[in-house]
Amino acid sequence: MELNTAMAPTPLCTAVFRLAVFPALLAIPAFNLAAVPALTFEKDIRPIFKAHCFHCHGEEGKTKGGLDLRLKRLLTKGGETGPAIVAGKPDSSLLYKNIVSGEMPKGGKKLAPAEIATIRAWIDKGAPIARAEPEDPNAALITEEERAWWAFQPLRKPAVPANGASNPIDAFLLARLKPKGLSLSLAADRRTLLRRATFDLTGLPPTPEETEAFLKDTAHDAYDKLIDRLLASPRYGERWGRHWLDVAGYADSEGYTDTDRERAWAWRYRDYVIRAFNSDMPFDRFVQEQLAGDEMVKPPHTQLAPEQIDKLTATGFLSMAPDGTGQGGDEMLARNEAIAGTLHIVGTSLLGLTLDCARCHNHRYDPIPQADYYKMRAVFSPALDWKNWRVPAARQISLYTDADRAKATAIEEKAKSLDADRTKKVEHFVGLTLDWQLTKQPENLRTALRTAYRLPDANRTAEQKALLKDHPSIGNISSGSLYLYDNEYSGEATKRDTERKTKLAAHLERVRKNAIEAAPADQRASLDAARQVAADKRTAEQKQLLSTHPAAAVEESSLAQFDAAAAAELKALADRAQQFRDMLSEKLLKEMAAKSKEVRDTKPEEQFIRALTEPAGALPITHVFHRGDSAQPKEAVKPGELTVVSLPTNSIPEKDAALPSSGRRLALAKRLTDGTHPLTGRVLMNRIWMHHFGRGIVDTPGDFGRLGELPSHPELLDWLAADFAQNGWQLKRLHKLIMTSHAYRQTAQRTKQLDAADPDNRLLGRMNVRRIESEIIRDSVLAASGQINLEMFGKPVPVMEDEVGQIILGKENLDGERKPGQAIDLQGQQFRRSVYVQVRRSRVLSLFNAFDAPAMEPTCAKRAVSTVAPQALIFMNSEFVIDQSRAMALRLQKAHPENPDRQLALAWQLALCREPSVADLARARAFLTSQSALFTEQKDKEAGLTALASCCHALISSNGFIYVD
Amino acid sequence: MSIDPASNSTRRHFLATNAMGIGGTALAWLLHRQNLLANPIKPDLVREAHSLQTKLPHAAPKARAMISIFMQGGPSHIDLTDPKPILEKYAGQTFPGQIKYDNAAQASPKVLPSFWKFQKHGQCGMELSELLPHLGSVADDICLIRSMHTGVNNHGQSIDALNSGRPVSGRPALGSWLTYGLGSESDNLPAYMVLRDPANLPVLGVLNWSAGWLPSLYQGTVVRPREPRILNLDAPEHLRGQPQKQFLDLVSAFNREHLEKHPGELDLEARIASFELAARMQTAAADAMDISRESEATKKLYGIDQEATREFGTRCLIARRLVERGVRFVQIFTQNQFWDHHGNILTALPAACKKIDQPSVALVKDLKSRGLLDSTLVHWGGEMGRLPVIQNDTGRNRVGRDHNTYGFSMWLAGGGIRSGHIHGTTDEWGVNAERDIVNHYDYHATLLHLFGLDHARLIYKRNAVEQTLTDSQPARVVKEILA
Repeated sequence: MELNTAMAPTPLCTAVFRLAVFPALLAIPAFNLAAVPALTFEKDIRPIFKAHCFHCHGEEGKTKGGLDLRLKRLLTKGGETGPAIVAGKPDSSLLYKNIVSGEMPKGGKKLAPAEIATIRAWIDKGAPIARAEPEDPNAALITEEERAWWAFQPLRKPAVPANGASNPIDAFLLARLKPKGLSLSLAADRRTLLRRATFDLTGLPPTPEETEAFLKDTAHDAYDKLIDRLLASPRYGERWGRHWLDVAGYADSEGYTDTDRERAWAWRYRDYVIRAFNSDMPFDRFVQEQLAGDEMVKPPHTQLAPEQIDKLTATGFLSMAPDGTGQGGDEMLARNEAIAGTLHIVGTSLLGLTLDCARCHNHRYDPIPQADYYKMRAVFSPALDWKNWRVPAARQISLYTDADRAKATAIEEKAKSLDADRTKKVEHFVGLTLDWQLTKQPENLRTALRTAYRLPDANRTAEQKALLKDHPSIGNISSGSLYLYDNEYSGEATKRDTERKTKLAAHLERVRKNAIEAAPADQRASLDAARQVAADKRTAEQKQLLSTHPAAAVEESSLAQFDAAAAAELKALADRAQQFRDMLSEKLLKEMAAKSKEVRDTKPEEQFIRALTEPAGALPITHVFHRGDSAQPKEAVKPGELTVVSLPTNSIPEKDAALPSSGRRLALAKRLTDGTHPLTGRVLMNRIWMHHFGRGIVDTPGDFGRLGELPSHPELLDWLAADFAQNGWQLKRLHKLIMTSHAYRQTAQRTKQLDAADPDNRLLGRMNVRRIESEIIRDSVLAASGQINLEMFGKPVPVMEDEVGQIILGKENLDGERKPGQAIDLQGQQFRRSVYVQVRRSRVLSLFNAFDAPAMEPTCAKRAVSTVAPQALIFMNSEFVIDQSRAMALRLQKAHPENPDRQLALAWQLALCREPSVADLARARAFLTSQSALFTEQKDKEAGLTALASCCHALISSNGFIYVD
Repeated sequence: MSIDPASNSTRRHFLATNAMGIGGTALAWLLHRQNLLANPIKPDLVREAHSLQTKLPHAAPKARAMISIFMQGGPSHIDLTDPKPILEKYAGQTFPGQIKYDNAAQASPKVLPSFWKFQKHGQCGMELSELLPHLGSVADDICLIRSMHTGVNNHGQSIDALNSGRPVSGRPALGSWLTYGLGSESDNLPAYMVLRDPANLPVLGVLNWSAGWLPSLYQGTVVRPREPRILNLDAPEHLRGQPQKQFLDLVSAFNREHLEKHPGELDLEARIASFELAARMQTAAADAMDISRESEATKKLYGIDQEATREFGTRCLIARRLVERGVRFVQIFTQNQFWDHHGNILTALPAACKKIDQPSVALVKDLKSRGLLDSTLVHWGGEMGRLPVIQNDTGRNRVGRDHNTYGFSMWLAGGGIRSGHIHGTTDEWGVNAERDIVNHYDYHATLLHLFGLDHARLIYKRNAVEQTLTDSQPARVVKEILA
């Protein structure tokens, strides 16, 4: 058996290709392994010094001890303590001795033994150099050796290896597999392919209907049609947009500060990205718009057309970095950090370089002088000028039309007049409260207190201040504290009500008693009886009797006729109670505030774009910052791209005369997407590849420098990048090219042979088994349960902390002391796709967090995949998984009432994209029976449903559900 | 489509002759890259991986675990731990000094002496209120600090100061710092656990155990007052026991079968193992919460046999069980504003003490008798004390006391703390901490010191700023209270 598979190959495969193999193998040239190149300063020694020593011995102006290590010549010359090296004599070389003894480098990390050995060998061999050294040490900032780094080489389209493969991708892969005696594996079965392709392009499992349709389609191009269908699905943009949002560092909050303020309008950029992917916007345009969309739209940015809105929205890319400006704290630091974050995002996403390392000093490993960092910074300076900073809110562009604005102004005026009414009311209540509180103070102090209180604090004398302090119930009266007095006033009112009630009863009793006693003795009993009968039930005699002695039937309403003084006393009490009630301020003031808010709420909603623009005429000078410290500006630099990849003539102007803006970003964008840029195309192709195969051709997608990994297939990477640019930067075309390769379609089965020869599968002799990402786990569970809400775009689904501090979906509803109020119904929003869930840097949804979602500080070049017990606990016990399992069980019952086997079959299709085997069914039936019995014991009236939910729960929790093979 | 059926013999041939054989001239770069630049020895640039693995502190630690009994609302030090006889003399008279009130409307400057008597306890002669009879019995085991100060006169800010280092919100809680610095000693339980009151959450709610900007790995895990007691760790009630066992068996059967189709996929095996570990964690958590096997004497010690103390006593006992099992930091909270006695102090304060006194003290006694007190730091205290003047001057039964964060008390025990010791004083009125003032920075520096951590060196780097619990503020390890 020769194939990379444990399975039997189809006869077709074996027979046809055996013949083709040997000539190809013989053509491979043999290399002379013995040819070990000589050690040279430039190749072997300088990089070590650059990483460890240049900081003190060659950069920063003054060199420590007068020793400059940047050229061999300078080593021989040495510093204050003499020559650093003696060629041929390492043990007599001061530099070597100091390194061996650990004296150098001072403070920093010591050299590794291998590095020390290299230095020794080099001195021993006579300290050779590769070529004559330049006169000026500064001219050697970037050496030929550094320029020769693979990622900086011009992008050319290599010839496709002629090895019989029809898809160029396969040809390139086979070219590396074959010499190892390996090959590609057999194609995976159709269900596996369907599931793999569907997850890859849409981030969702295939539906049972889609599965059936694909399996039934026996046409030779069924698979091609499948890819076309998936690429056309709106789900595609959600899936691949999310990948891009990772590198863009997309977040719905500002991060940086502890409050982690929300970014109200970032979602428009998210929607722009999803739309761009779905419409297959050429990727060069996509990059250009994100870097310089604003420079493509003529100001002023009002009355915007949709495509203008899109271009401005795209620049949200440059407003994604954490931004803590305008929030207190060290403002200058915050501004410079926001700029650095933006450069980090640009560097990681489009250049694949760790630009930040050159912020404080020359990059220690890659040929990026510190000045290059600031040249790049200068490209963004007109828009992100740390000295003339615009906080995030000030960078927003309003989508108000002129009509909207006029309407809003009118409404605001109305609201302001309501506010004024309320302010008057507050003053009224303050006055009442002051009057009353003064009555409780000693009489001799009242005038003084009132005078002191009524003065503005600045005008009060020390005595007046002390007086108020000693009488806090006066001194602290304010609009904010008014509500605190309400309790007292309602108490006072109640007290008078009670008093009045008691007095009323006493007065009535007295008047009545006197009237009866005033009557002749023989009438008293009848009189007393008569007055107790209801007025309309009295006999004529009783009426007669009472008309003679009206006071006997006295009531509250008639008391004044018989005892005016008593009535007056009662009225005074009632009035006083009412006066206190009129002093209750909290409710009324709240209502008044609500009223003006209500009016304000009728304004047309003002929507914004989180964009980046340049203020008119802004052309700030950019300085290199000594050690990255903005307080120590050094020489000024002009905008420019990185020297090591720059064109012979600077492609970035200081000011493009043809544009209202500086044109710097637009020029950079065009340069990056000119189809020859060494980095951008390779970096992009690597990302796309990574998302299809689980690993990039370069395994460090954010670092193509020397600390990154080397490409496993550099030619393939170059070919993809060149081909992509030549064919209109069409991403969907690229997906199809990749996905129709045999490499993509091969099985993920390991074989002993492959594992032995290529344990990490770097050569891709098989497909990788991959766990789906956090968002896709959630989406897949919702898809299986049928609850998923596929509404696209718009404001994010909010996240909040629950009662134990987990981050869940929901609208926060807390009082001032953070006590939770009633839960707010999300009305189906909680089932939307994960890409629409609010990304708050400090509050990553707990479910996502557990499954390695990035925290966006500031961006994510590559996601980690961890497997830890808390993830298992989420699957076992979390409310989300358990609820969705039950929803899935209900879905099964609804689809196939009274047919348990068909319910189970559907469950398998939904969760695993396959039919259950006979053994599966038998096991599931037995499980349902015994689970159901246990739930019946618990008096569960729906034990059958609960048992089915438990089975769904197990399917969702299984490896088959969250791994794609 | 080309598939290369290279034979085994061919493969051996290639391995022998083309160990470097990558093929294709354009790949020459890869072969010759050593001709261009030597391979760098890569520095450790990888972002620090966060885990709960046990980490070594800066110095030998005294404390291994901490239980903080947080008395939210502000127990009145004047009535409980800090007797002020002068108040008797000036009862009802105008307070002669300066006072900051929180509630203006009910404020009054009239001096209010304590309704309760104080008595000396233990060999150290610690004066404590009759409301805390149990505390008196461990006077020689605790260190009473009478000079606490945060200086921010409302609940939220002062809690932030004492629980997260500064009176601002959004910072990581003390427990998060400890677990960040030291990791966990338990494989089966969260490192930082919170036992909240069944009634409701304290002021600031869940922010009390937030990891702030530290990775959420270090966030406190809440034991809920109802089932499931620990979210995600406990199964919902209907799945407990046998149903879950059957469920796990089914998942395991699915996974084994799946693995058979993907032999050698270590990730799949790891996930199977993660379910097994998760099940063990569940058992461990259930075991830690289950006090049924504790002796009657122990339950009695914590007051679990009495209505008034049953609930709080149970949580104190669970706290001990958690610490025994390697949990690093346990915080027990009272309900919202439990000690916030603006009014009705005459009846409300004794009721509060009745609930808290015996269980808190039982924890000290129990830990001591089990030999755990030496390595377990116990903290008892709230975010503030109270003022010596009347609030709500509407009759003896209704008076209360307003906030005071300028001088108040807390006590510590075990974990390297000096026992039978009183540290610091407030002024004669109990308004301001006066001698040996301990502010929140000092308090935290001292706590970290007991754990062998240097507050200035326990750093988390964030947004170009090196963050610490004490936030680079002047902080002093209070040596006087160390054993």
